[in-house]
Amino acid sequence: MESSRSLTGAPAASAAATRASGLARVASAPLLLAAAGACLALGVLLGFLWAPTDASTMGFSQKIFYFHVPVAETALLAFGVAFVASVLYLRTSNAKYDRLGMVSVRLGLLFSVLVMITGMIWGKAAWGVWWAWEPRLTTFLVVCLLYAGYFVLRSSVEEEGRRATFAALFAIIAFVDVPITFLATRLMPAGLHPVVFTSSGAQMDHRDLIAFLVSMLGMSLLFVGLLRVELAVERLRDELYYLKNRLG
Amino acid sequence: MAEIEVSNISKVFGRRDVLRDVEFAVEEGGFLSIMGPNGAGKTTTLRILATLLTPTSGSVRVAGLNLSDDPMPVRRVIGFISHQPLLYPDLTAYENLRFYAEMYGVPDRERRIAELLDRVELSHRRYDQVRTFSKGMTQRLAIARALVHRPRVLLLDEPYSGLDPHAVDILDGLLAEIRAEHTFVMVSHSISKTLELSDQVLIMDGGRIVFRQSGTVDEGHFAAVYREHVSEGVTI
Amino acid sequence: MEGVAAPVVAPGLHTTMWRQLYVVVKKDVVNELRTKEMLLSMFLFVVLAMVIFHFAFSVRAHTDLTYFTGGMLWVTFIFGALLGLNRSFAHEKDEGCLDGLLLCPVDRVTIFLAKMIGNLIFLLVIQALAVPVFSLFFVSRSYLSDLPAFLAVLLLADLGVCSVGTLLATISMNTKARDLLLPIVFLPLIIPVLIAATLATTAIFAQTASLGSLGSKLLFLAAYDGIFMLAAYGTYDYALGE
Repeated sequence: MESSRSLTGAPAASAAATRASGLARVASAPLLLAAAGACLALGVLLGFLWAPTDASTMGFSQKIFYFHVPVAETALLAFGVAFVASVLYLRTSNAKYDRLGMVSVRLGLLFSVLVMITGMIWGKAAWGVWWAWEPRLTTFLVVCLLYAGYFVLRSSVEEEGRRATFAALFAIIAFVDVPITFLATRLMPAGLHPVVFTSSGAQMDHRDLIAFLVSMLGMSLLFVGLLRVELAVERLRDELYYLKNRLG
Repeated sequence: MAEIEVSNISKVFGRRDVLRDVEFAVEEGGFLSIMGPNGAGKTTTLRILATLLTPTSGSVRVAGLNLSDDPMPVRRVIGFISHQPLLYPDLTAYENLRFYAEMYGVPDRERRIAELLDRVELSHRRYDQVRTFSKGMTQRLAIARALVHRPRVLLLDEPYSGLDPHAVDILDGLLAEIRAEHTFVMVSHSISKTLELSDQVLIMDGGRIVFRQSGTVDEGHFAAVYREHVSEGVTI
Repeated sequence: MEGVAAPVVAPGLHTTMWRQLYVVVKKDVVNELRTKEMLLSMFLFVVLAMVIFHFAFSVRAHTDLTYFTGGMLWVTFIFGALLGLNRSFAHEKDEGCLDGLLLCPVDRVTIFLAKMIGNLIFLLVIQALAVPVFSLFFVSRSYLSDLPAFLAVLLLADLGVCSVGTLLATISMNTKARDLLLPIVFLPLIIPVLIAATLATTAIFAQTASLGSLGSKLLFLAAYDGIFMLAAYGTYDYALGE
């Protein structure tokens, strides 16, 4: 498994080269992040100023949809990336997939928390309560708890190879569980607050759609940009750790 | 072809190189001992031979079978004696042996169990729970457990540690009895036992083999190298 | 996975996966019957939990807990199962017996199935004793006519609990904080089972739903079981060893 070793810690001679490539990776991210920022800003502007205010009871608060749904879908994208990375790690034992998985889960968790926060804000604006046990919010709550468990698991294993293996296993199982959990919450009887977040329906004006897609793109770019930055940071951290160990 | 062939194996645990380029061979009927300081990779090597771990690179052949192809056939021909007994304390001696005999698929199970209990002098405690045994008795039963499926290769991980003199005698006697038809790899901290039993000796340190000798071991040289490596203390 | 005769190197050794499965399950059952530690503590815990639920919910006089019955039952069983799951690997790990098991020429999936079946048996035994007690405490209606449906829910939910639980217990037993970690990773994953089982069980205890709607819950549970047993099958090698 020469590849995994060279990735985490090349012998001293090429350490400089790896460091340089690591920095190069970080350097490219600002471009991505700038693009992401631009898209998001554009999406927000379009959403708030250009697209028509929602005709239904939600009114202006519906605008949060341009932020809330992209964040939710990006969170799921992040967990999906973690799933693929985990499968690849189990097959190849290459540490870079473990890193990718961990960073993706971390970002996914961050985005999930944002989903909950924006969901709660929307809920307060739309129905006057901070919390409701409706399917999407509940699912994301469970998702947050689930993937928080991922990090508890990681911190409970001291040996790196095993930690990566178990984390990969868990990320696979957790991702399989996400749609199952969502379906399960829909089994529950409808309460005071019916499924409200069905915004992606036929009623959407084409201007809504464009604003939404721009936001979606912006959010995805943000995810990819953050992913690259975090991956580079993690890689440097791994290299540092390895070098420290070798020096004793 | 040698009974055991270890070719350039290395083992990485996450970022730690626990084994680097370890290579050795043991002929059929041979007895190899591995010594060295703690953390040298001796137990790791043994566990790889026992199919409990897979090497990161390199290959291992036992009785002509390649471990990485399929470890199952190899498991049928190796027996492992550890300093942990690998016995269930709440089950009786008989039940423990029966469990392993059935897992391995030993054909003449009852006869084999009786025969082994006799050899380790535990027939009178056959229906007693293992938790009531002394350390020596437990280790004797553990030897029976390791032999239940008539393995060709025996892997011993510090088998003498913590044994009382009577148990040491029984173990000595047993090893002498089965010496002829078996191949051994032993990890030990006891120089005397190593020199007494082995026809090949390795000293490992920091995941590498730093000393190897077959046939008559030059005791002086061996002791010198041993002292040098084991007295160094913890290695990286 | 079929019966394999050993190759020439080990003449005479012969066994089948089913035999090995039986042997491991039998060993675990016998072991548990000897000590009874797990069964006894699980049962006591479950009954204690029921009593605590009564005190926790009886804020007013004559509180009708009918619609809470499904939830109480399954919360009790899930936490009881956690106790049992932790124990099921603890004794293998403590005496190094897991090594002994791994040294045997046995498929790792067989080990998983054996452990899962063992856990299932213990859970069913506890439930057989606990459900009558629970019915005595909380269920006013006689649901004997719905017993087949109830048992179906029980079995399907138990399968989900035991399959996911065994897989996660295997992972967590290899970690530092093994008793603490298992609930944290297990509970979020088991929520779908909890939801479906609670809805179905409450319906049976309170007679609020037709068999039709029960069918959807049963189907859901069966799908959950299938998916996670498949996931466990694919990943168990990694959970056990290196």
